[in-house]
Amino acid sequence: MTAIPIASVEGAIEFILTPQYSNVTGRKKVGGIDQVIELMLNQLWLTVFALAVALAIALPIGLYLGHRHKWESFALSLGTAGRGIPELILIAFFAAAIGVGFTNVMLALAILGIPPILANAFVGIHQVDRGSVEAARGMGMSEFEILRKVEIPLAIPTLMGGLRSAAIAVVATATIAPYGGYETLGDFIINENVYGENGVLAGAILVALLAVALELTLAGVQRLLTSPGLKLRPA
Amino acid sequence: MIDPTLFAAVGEVGEDFFKERSTDTLPCQATNALFCWDWAKDNIDRYGPFFIQHVELVVISVLIGFVVAMGLALLSRRWHWLRVPFLLGTGVLYTIPSVAFFFLLLPLTGRGRDTAIIALSVYTLQIIYRNTILGLDNVPSSAKDAARGMGMTDRQILRRVELPLALPEIVSGVIIATVSTVAIATLAALARGGGLGEVIVGTERGLGIDFKTNLIIAGGLTIGLAIVFGLLLMGLQRLLTPWRRARPA
Amino acid sequence: MPSGEAATHINESSQASSVRYESATKVYEGSDKPAVDKLSLEVPAGEICVLVGPSGCGKTTAMRMVNRTVEMSSGDILIGEESVRSRDAARLRREIGYVIQQIGLFPHRTIADNIGAVPQLLGWKKEKIRARSAELLELIGLDPELGGRYPAQLSGGQQQRVGVARALAADPLVMLMDEPFGAIDPINRERLQNEFLRLQAQVRKTVLFVTHDIDEAIKMGDRIAVMREGGRVEQYATPAELLMDPANEFVEDFVGADRALKRLALMRVADIDLWEAPWATAGQPTSEVRAKLDAPDVEVPYPLLVDAERRPLGWLSERDLAHDTVPDRPDSPLGPVLDRDDVMRDALSDMLQGGAQYAAVTDHRGSVVGVLSVEILSEFLSSPAAKVEEHGAAERPHD
Repeated sequence: MTAIPIASVEGAIEFILTPQYSNVTGRKKVGGIDQVIELMLNQLWLTVFALAVALAIALPIGLYLGHRHKWESFALSLGTAGRGIPELILIAFFAAAIGVGFTNVMLALAILGIPPILANAFVGIHQVDRGSVEAARGMGMSEFEILRKVEIPLAIPTLMGGLRSAAIAVVATATIAPYGGYETLGDFIINENVYGENGVLAGAILVALLAVALELTLAGVQRLLTSPGLKLRPA
Repeated sequence: MIDPTLFAAVGEVGEDFFKERSTDTLPCQATNALFCWDWAKDNIDRYGPFFIQHVELVVISVLIGFVVAMGLALLSRRWHWLRVPFLLGTGVLYTIPSVAFFFLLLPLTGRGRDTAIIALSVYTLQIIYRNTILGLDNVPSSAKDAARGMGMTDRQILRRVELPLALPEIVSGVIIATVSTVAIATLAALARGGGLGEVIVGTERGLGIDFKTNLIIAGGLTIGLAIVFGLLLMGLQRLLTPWRRARPA
Repeated sequence: MPSGEAATHINESSQASSVRYESATKVYEGSDKPAVDKLSLEVPAGEICVLVGPSGCGKTTAMRMVNRTVEMSSGDILIGEESVRSRDAARLRREIGYVIQQIGLFPHRTIADNIGAVPQLLGWKKEKIRARSAELLELIGLDPELGGRYPAQLSGGQQQRVGVARALAADPLVMLMDEPFGAIDPINRERLQNEFLRLQAQVRKTVLFVTHDIDEAIKMGDRIAVMREGGRVEQYATPAELLMDPANEFVEDFVGADRALKRLALMRVADIDLWEAPWATAGQPTSEVRAKLDAPDVEVPYPLLVDAERRPLGWLSERDLAHDTVPDRPDSPLGPVLDRDDVMRDALSDMLQGGAQYAAVTDHRGSVVGVLSVEILSEFLSSPAAKVEEHGAAERPHD
């Protein structure tokens, strides 16, 4: 068996593109573009679903509390506290307590995504100019209409900021989903003896690229959703 | 209980990933209880060294991140055009998940504590830099104008007016950075950087990923550490900003 | 609110220097027209010079050139006999008081620390700084206990006063004030203006005061410089001169169509020559009163009924005089009674409201000293030679 090569960028790129022989599995090859795409898509779906669940739970609550200006300290401290959740232990605990597989990991990730979305939804709505809200109310808009037509559009930058924070946290933790029994790019990183040093580096590069791509996409979405009026600089 | 063969199907894992359980954990694990008090009491001291490593990782990373962030902030205060590149640069680094960052450094620094510290510092750097810039921006320009007009030099304005007024925001940044780093440092173990993550994915005999009591203890210690740091820093913030407590006329 | 009766030990050594602009010019980069074009102006020591003009005329820029928060492109400004360029800017500014519209108190320092900011920069001993802060708090009429509070705990008017105190703390040679009362509501603004004038009567600083409000300029200025774009001075004169003799159409427009009334705000009733009314006491034979009325140089055709102390009781009509003796109750009511210390504009207002053609003027004891009529006033206003003793800003009527 050949000696394990030291990790290098060229080696990593090679790993990504073509299947390699592995120390451990002997005959069976690992790596290559097919496996890469498979694991990347796995990580992407995991992220997307988890964020969707987190949005479904956190967004309504955050919007409601923000609109009523209630429970401010709770919403704010949730934002900070949420960042203190130890990801590895969360995944491991879900796996040990509930079980392994896509759904369980996805729920664990959703929990990670809730604090930033909720906190930002609260702050975004809470800080909308009261004058605009009062004017809308005076015009005869229902509370829900006010939220929909006035508060949310004005709070888009902050709301999206929350989603982006959540996305960063979720995609990062989705990397270690293998600990919860679901295969993602983290597999390359965690199992060095299978994939080799080049595999590890390749995994790291791929995760980084995925995360940056996701962030850029969301930034683009934010720009699309932000009303032109908010983007203007004062005359 | 997790079936080891399930993992074999997912990807070839080395045999050493699921080590032989030492006999003393087995009874506790066999019962599959959520938390075994007795075992916890007997074995709590095993967590000591990892806890200390964890604290070291966090404190050192936050300190380095703080110093560098301050440096960057002072530079971009002087030369405004530096702001955008700095924000973008640190922003990109922040987007890269720490777990990947640990390993991107592989060709450079290999595995180990240094790698972990570098990666964690970069993470704290972005948070603190951003908050510092925000804090400095929020200093009322009338106060700066008055300070300049009354004869303060640029340095004096920075030291006596801008920094004190930006302090609440800066400390906020340190709080968030610290709390986040406590959480992320659990992953340092993957890069053999030490910390409480070791008891989960590391090589400590008998402790493992599917041992619930272990998870609870490790989780409790991590969260507890985060809370302690958080409260200490919030107290510091209140101490340093007496004027914010004064209620308006 | 305590009156301006302040500690007497404050102003023994209060210093002030003259300020002289010598062709001072400021051109901003990328602009072809100068913001301030060869300004030459002299402000005598101890006087308030108001720079007034429309927005963008360069008045603030001109003021800021003195403490070099705006650097001159060419020309010079002298404080006393020393050029402002002769020293490092930061050091220069420590000797110049600087009050801006948004006040700019340091939110993170107590009021006392704010006031002591410049002394601190100058290296005064802590004890001296503390004493000076307390002194100034008293001078501006604030409770010394406020020294330990933070700016957020004070009202806008109080904060503005602290801003002035802070500028005075190190006993500066010159004070620069940029629309200092602009952000305050009109009622408090008037109070602050009066407070400042009272202060000025004691400390006598050289003040360069910028405003866009001509009424404020007239009230506050010993001298007023009316400016237009490019910092060009169209007229530099005392308020009375400005109101009586506007140099050109621009100044006339800027001063406003009601400049006659504005002049009245500058004087007191006592400043003008009043008419005499023949007075009568109760019980006096009416023939004597008639005799007075028939005298050739009588100015007021109605007799005034007064008491033993010559306090006015009312006007006597023909019917009253039909009796043998003067009745003790007059036919016509007294109408408005003016005090000789009243501001002329207020006096006119009272007269018009009371519908009176003549109003009795009394002194502080209530005794009649003369009669004011609308005719006197219009004669005065229309006469170009009418000279009224010009009061300095600090001595002018204000409450």
